[in-house]
Amino acid sequence: MRTKHPTRPEPPESFASAATPLLSVHGIEVRYGGIRALKGVSLTVRRGEVVALIGSNGAGKTTTLRSLVRLVPWSAGTASFAGQELGPLGTEEVAALGVSLVPEGRAIFPNLTVRENLELGAYLHRDARIIGETIDDVVKLFPRLGERMRQEGGTLSGGEQQMLAIGRAMMARPSLLLLDEPSLGIAPNLARQIFGAIRQIAEAGVTVLVVEQNTRLALEVAARGYVLRTGEVAKEGKAKELLEDPMVKEAYLGG
Amino acid sequence: MRRVPTFVLLLLGAAVCVGLDLAYDAAVSADRGYKFWLTIAVMCAINVVGATALNIVNGMAGQFSIGHAGFVGLGAYLGGFVAARVALLMKIPLDELRDNLSLTHSLIIFPVVVLSVAAVCALVGLVVGLPSLRLRGDYLAIVTLGFSEILRLTVLGTNADSAKNPITKGIAALGGSLGYRGPSVPGGDPGDFVGIPSVAGPFWIFGLAALMVFLAYRLKRSGFGRALRAVREDEIAASAVGVDPAKYKITAFVLAAVGAGIAGALLVLRRDGPGIVTPANMKFDKSFEVITMVILGGSGSVTGVAVGAVLYTTVFYAAEEGLLQLSRNYSAFADIDAAALRMTLFAAALIIVMLVRPEGLFGEREVWERKSKGGPKPPTSTKPAVATEAEA
Repeated sequence: MRTKHPTRPEPPESFASAATPLLSVHGIEVRYGGIRALKGVSLTVRRGEVVALIGSNGAGKTTTLRSLVRLVPWSAGTASFAGQELGPLGTEEVAALGVSLVPEGRAIFPNLTVRENLELGAYLHRDARIIGETIDDVVKLFPRLGERMRQEGGTLSGGEQQMLAIGRAMMARPSLLLLDEPSLGIAPNLARQIFGAIRQIAEAGVTVLVVEQNTRLALEVAARGYVLRTGEVAKEGKAKELLEDPMVKEAYLGG
Repeated sequence: MRRVPTFVLLLLGAAVCVGLDLAYDAAVSADRGYKFWLTIAVMCAINVVGATALNIVNGMAGQFSIGHAGFVGLGAYLGGFVAARVALLMKIPLDELRDNLSLTHSLIIFPVVVLSVAAVCALVGLVVGLPSLRLRGDYLAIVTLGFSEILRLTVLGTNADSAKNPITKGIAALGGSLGYRGPSVPGGDPGDFVGIPSVAGPFWIFGLAALMVFLAYRLKRSGFGRALRAVREDEIAASAVGVDPAKYKITAFVLAAVGAGIAGALLVLRRDGPGIVTPANMKFDKSFEVITMVILGGSGSVTGVAVGAVLYTTVFYAAEEGLLQLSRNYSAFADIDAAALRMTLFAAALIIVMLVRPEGLFGEREVWERKSKGGPKPPTSTKPAVATEAEA
């Protein structure tokens, strides 16, 4: 029922494999009924990078993430993670490869305690010692969760729930962390903290692909970014350049 | 947390069940009108088995199955049939089958019955669950309801005189609308049957009830149970952490089917039982009875559901008996229909319970757990949360 999975984020790669991206997506198309939500999205994420996927509502950001973990089937295109084709896999099999998704809207398990939520994050691991260590790591990242271990997830505040969702994803010790709108509906102050944690996660060696409406916040943490517009990649580049880009400024940074 | 070793618990449980068995026999032989309450106690235990099983799929996995009666009926027929066949194979004299079955005989027959019922119900559960649980939403409710009704109507409509081919003849051997009543009396009239052997003494029934509750509690607290509850809360999030929702839902459904089948077998094999299985045993209102026990106790709570089953059963029988006495002893109430009035009062009581406690008596908590899971009270808004975070 469970698949073996590396227990630690991969060590830094040699030059040869550093050239091949960890995640590469080519011309993904997704249809919802007759509507083409994604019209051939291509992107790459290299090992150890933080990449931001920005764009307005309905641009296809969430659809892109969901299609990567096979929650949404794609009608054309290919995607591979660490050389493994994602097309034929189910969501739980993608997770077993080391891809952790933090779904939109803080999809925690509300009637389970914080500890149970975290333990579920380590579903693919069996070694109790490693699970214990990982819980300690997560608590270091989000001390608030440590105080709330026995509380039910649903009783946490919005920001705490987002922390729990990220913490749960980190319990899998993923090599790629996918974050869907981590700042959505959270007080600006707390959103900043969450992005601070994302920076720490990246510094620990985890590759991060983050979907975010708060463009400035996302581009401040990311190294590179892709701008999605109506299901297509409208622009890509270094985060710093995108922050200065007139089009991006105009459309997403409020001029 | 302190942990009592499993074998100690099992030994204790077995000892308690032997005690209950002896108490049952003592009460029967004392013959001071305890019979009514003894029947209730046995029915409570049987319903605990059935409700605990349904709780695995309805409460823990959050999949609404309303065809539990189908599996109860399947277990009842199969249990009765297998018990009768095995008894015949063992050449047990027919006049002993109903009331004078020796302990040795029941010790051999009963495990065979339980194992075969469990195996068949698991298989049928898999066949029913496999296609419907891959889908989301209410499909399971529809499919399970259909399944139990198909089963009931097939048995009901297949009588010996209309059976033409081997398959229908086989089904007709279950007695059609008259029900299955064990082997026929040799040399008796065509309509004379010995009845289903009562191989399930109180020891088995109380024992299985205790075992079911114990196993269900262990299941809930295990990694499997945690994943099951995760699937109930959020299938997408569950699959994102690597849990395969379909696998868990199907396993839960199969476990529930096995438990229901065993409850069905106990129902017809119990000592002083009816000795007959009829298609009415799997009418869909039986499904709703079990669902009521689960919801009343608190779906997801193992001990809560057991309490729900005991409460429902006791009130159900006691109310009928009480109303019956009332109509017999007081001429003013002579005209009341006890069964109908009981249902009315019962429905009203349930509505009140649901209004006051929509999550059931215990919610998802176990009987001994307190409502708050400890820890500080959560902030009601994000404002204080931000403040404390800033201080930290």
